[in-house]
Amino acid sequence: MDMLLEALFSILTLEGLVTILCGVTAGLFIGALPGLTATMALAVLLPFTFTMSPLQGLMALGAVYMGAIYGGAFTAILINTPGTPSSIATTFDGYPMARQGRAYEALAAATIASVVGGIVGVAFLLLLAPPLARLAVVFGPAEMFWVALLGLTLVASLSSGSLLKGLLGGCIGMLLSTIGVSPIGGETRFIFGIPALQGGIALIVALIGLFVVPELISMAAQGRGALPESGKLQGGAGSAIGRMGRHIFGKPINLIRSCIIGQIIAIIPGAGGNVTSLVAYNEARRFSRDPASFGKGNVDGVIASESSNNVMVAGSMVPLLTLGIPGAPPDAIILGVLLMHGLRPGLDLFTETGVLTNGFILSMGFAAMFLLPVGLLGGRLIHRVVVKTPFYFLLPSIAMVTILGTYALRNSMIDVFIMLLLGTAGYFLRLIGIQAAPIVLGMILGVIAEKGYVQTMLVAVVDPIPWLRLVANPLSIVLACLVVLSVATTLLPGWLERSGRMAKVDSDEEKSP
Amino acid sequence: MTRATTRWAGSLTLMVALGMPGIALAEYPEQPITYTIPFDPGGESDVTARFQEPHLEEILGVDVNVNHRPGGGGAVGWSEFQNTAEPTGYEMIGVNIPHIIAQPIMRENAGYETDGWKIVTFFHTTPNALIVPKDSQFKTLDDLVQYAKKNPQAVTLGGSGTFSANHLGALRLEREAGIDVTYIPFTGTGPLPAAVQGNHVSGIFNYSMLGVQMQDNARVLAVASEERVPALPDVPTFKELGYDIVGGAYRGVAVPKGTPDAIVNKLEDAFAKTNERIAEKQEPLGFVMTDITDGEVDEVMQQLKTAYQPILEEAKANQ
Amino acid sequence: MTLRLNTDFAAGLFGLLFAAILWFPRESMGRLSIIFPRAILVITVALSLALIVKAFTKPAAREVTIEGNPRRLLMMIAVLFAWWYAIDLLGFLLATAIVFFGLTWYLANVEGAVSGRRLVQWVPIVAVLIGVFYLAFTEVLSVRLPTGIWS
Repeated sequence: MDMLLEALFSILTLEGLVTILCGVTAGLFIGALPGLTATMALAVLLPFTFTMSPLQGLMALGAVYMGAIYGGAFTAILINTPGTPSSIATTFDGYPMARQGRAYEALAAATIASVVGGIVGVAFLLLLAPPLARLAVVFGPAEMFWVALLGLTLVASLSSGSLLKGLLGGCIGMLLSTIGVSPIGGETRFIFGIPALQGGIALIVALIGLFVVPELISMAAQGRGALPESGKLQGGAGSAIGRMGRHIFGKPINLIRSCIIGQIIAIIPGAGGNVTSLVAYNEARRFSRDPASFGKGNVDGVIASESSNNVMVAGSMVPLLTLGIPGAPPDAIILGVLLMHGLRPGLDLFTETGVLTNGFILSMGFAAMFLLPVGLLGGRLIHRVVVKTPFYFLLPSIAMVTILGTYALRNSMIDVFIMLLLGTAGYFLRLIGIQAAPIVLGMILGVIAEKGYVQTMLVAVVDPIPWLRLVANPLSIVLACLVVLSVATTLLPGWLERSGRMAKVDSDEEKSP
Repeated sequence: MTRATTRWAGSLTLMVALGMPGIALAEYPEQPITYTIPFDPGGESDVTARFQEPHLEEILGVDVNVNHRPGGGGAVGWSEFQNTAEPTGYEMIGVNIPHIIAQPIMRENAGYETDGWKIVTFFHTTPNALIVPKDSQFKTLDDLVQYAKKNPQAVTLGGSGTFSANHLGALRLEREAGIDVTYIPFTGTGPLPAAVQGNHVSGIFNYSMLGVQMQDNARVLAVASEERVPALPDVPTFKELGYDIVGGAYRGVAVPKGTPDAIVNKLEDAFAKTNERIAEKQEPLGFVMTDITDGEVDEVMQQLKTAYQPILEEAKANQ
Repeated sequence: MTLRLNTDFAAGLFGLLFAAILWFPRESMGRLSIIFPRAILVITVALSLALIVKAFTKPAAREVTIEGNPRRLLMMIAVLFAWWYAIDLLGFLLATAIVFFGLTWYLANVEGAVSGRRLVQWVPIVAVLIGVFYLAFTEVLSVRLPTGIWS
């Protein structure tokens, strides 16, 4: 406890608070730009931290991380573009809300959810790190395979309309993810003799292409901006924040569920923030009284997505600080910084250098709190810019930032071409009912599923029946059952509907298995 | 077509700016130098480059810009570099062994050649280390070898990547000890600590750095260096234990073929001086600093090629 | 604009085409590399065939609606690819200046003809927009943008 107090005092200096504030602000803007991810934000900042003291450096990195994950929500809500992969699920309801003129409400909800999520993650990290960390190492290849399949059952809820088309989209995504060097075999796949394709299609490139480009194309075709100009705030900004606050804390079950999901997934190494928000969104929808309203501007979807992904920021530090296992890609950079300062992950980190470690953890809590003022002010600013800018300036600007962001990811013009190509294809696929979300989900989870499956088969090479290894221990059996359960609960309502009780059919498409 | 125009326009600007190209050589360097890292930011290659950057800038007196061109385990950056970089001394790229030996052999079209550049220096190596879980039944390397002899394929060794330094190390252990283990590739070093601590594999073949990092949570059975690694003084080398396995990753920089010797020498010096300055920070992490230049580069390349080629070719035939 | 199109059939056909592109020119690959993509390819083909069957038995929407002006739609796609090509050729700054200004002019025409005076007024706005992002990426994020023939 003394250590915690000492740590608290060590960050409560003017220098410390300014570092956090700058970090959050910088992270927010980087995260909001499509193509610039949290990982990249940390990498850019890395050289600057060399000149800082270890604590200040870590504080800056933690704050940038927190800001970047949150910043992705801005573009997700305002222009239907996830700024970082972890805010994909925010687009599902955030953008429809914005189109209905409720953009600021969505932003306020996202901000409050992010602040709560960030603080909850810090609390988990402070109080429960050692027991939670034990959970991190039980996920072996077989378990990861089931986790990926469990994630893929999300396709059913992401494919508005036809399940077949959703599954097809998922498969296309998984196939896209296999382009490049195979993760286990080490050979090149599907590169058509083009050396540059050895790098594969980066997730973020596909993400930007599939989300932004169709939006740009249809904005141009319709001659409109991203948001209707009539998007006047009902009763001003203050009341929107109040209303959202009451909504969130009035029925906190959604928030609590999303935070717990965020924490659990954050611990699973390799799943990371890309998946947390999707899973939390899916569960919010499953448990909602009105699942049909999701995807059409239900604020609970935004809350689930944004709270869970900000839990992940501090939450993924659990396995990192205790065991040296990076849970999400940005954590690898933080691990590098720790090592560079001679700090080895492990229990020493909480005892010998406890003041530093606790200072770092607490600073993330402060960073989360700073999201509130910075986010609400920044949100107002960006909202106003997007609404007020004439569409003939807005559209080329978004296109320019998209090209810049894609290029900056790997310094590659070929990536820009792939982004445009996928985007154009994505526009037409959307027309025929294949949405972007299942494709992106397939890309994220295909890699995890493949690695899990092939590694399990390799480990089981001496077994008489290798695939039994997939269900060889209790956890993998539990996960396998969850997959079956998830499929059943998704398909059952559809079947019931068709077998007699044609109660609510709100689309002309039926759900076929 | 475009490229030719680019080159022509480029050299024209240079000539106009300097009067004559000869002076450019004499006063090298006078423009910013691009230092490409063909891997993601945050990895060992990137962190090293960031350490080097300020010192190189101070020694050379110009800006050194680190940029990234990741993909394909380095192959994307390397093929682009060999195809487009100019031998002016203002473009250099990080190179890694065994990647640049293994990829062109194993891939149908890696897009670059192992010897398609002038390697300036290898500035450090990270030797392989064999790490097992703390509660593992294998207390020594000998335990592991004996068990593996009795139970072919039952010992599973994780590592980073396929036909990587780790994989080749495991394959050499199989040859040297006459055993048959199962190598499980993981993508990068990140997932390996979890694999060891969760007992998902019997052990891992990774770099000495991870051995240092996991001292408390795992046991390092041996390292594949000539002499013991300073940061792991209690861990024996494979050589001490009677297995002739020395290897790991070598990191260095290369410039395009045809870069004038004067420039290469200047860069060699700069990297050697930089190495001295950053050794104090890098050695405790498990890096082994080296200063391999000129003839020695060819020697090392030749030595590792002869060590790896038969293993790789056999592996390729088996695929 | 509304087109008559059986979307189930179109989606199925697309799935088959996509699978074919990856199936036929398969490089020689080891078991470990091909096992997963092959499984997914088989599933893709199965799903596509199911969609095609459905297209004839229980078709979903038989028409698709393209909102807005189809000519502007195609134009926008063309502009994006031209932009990409121009950056490679002319470098980021020049290419973006030309395309950005041109695109702004083209889009503004939707709301009526653009007078010469407005065009002149736009010059500083466009310059600032491009300049801010250019400097942010090159100076703050130290990204080296393509310079095209001006290198």
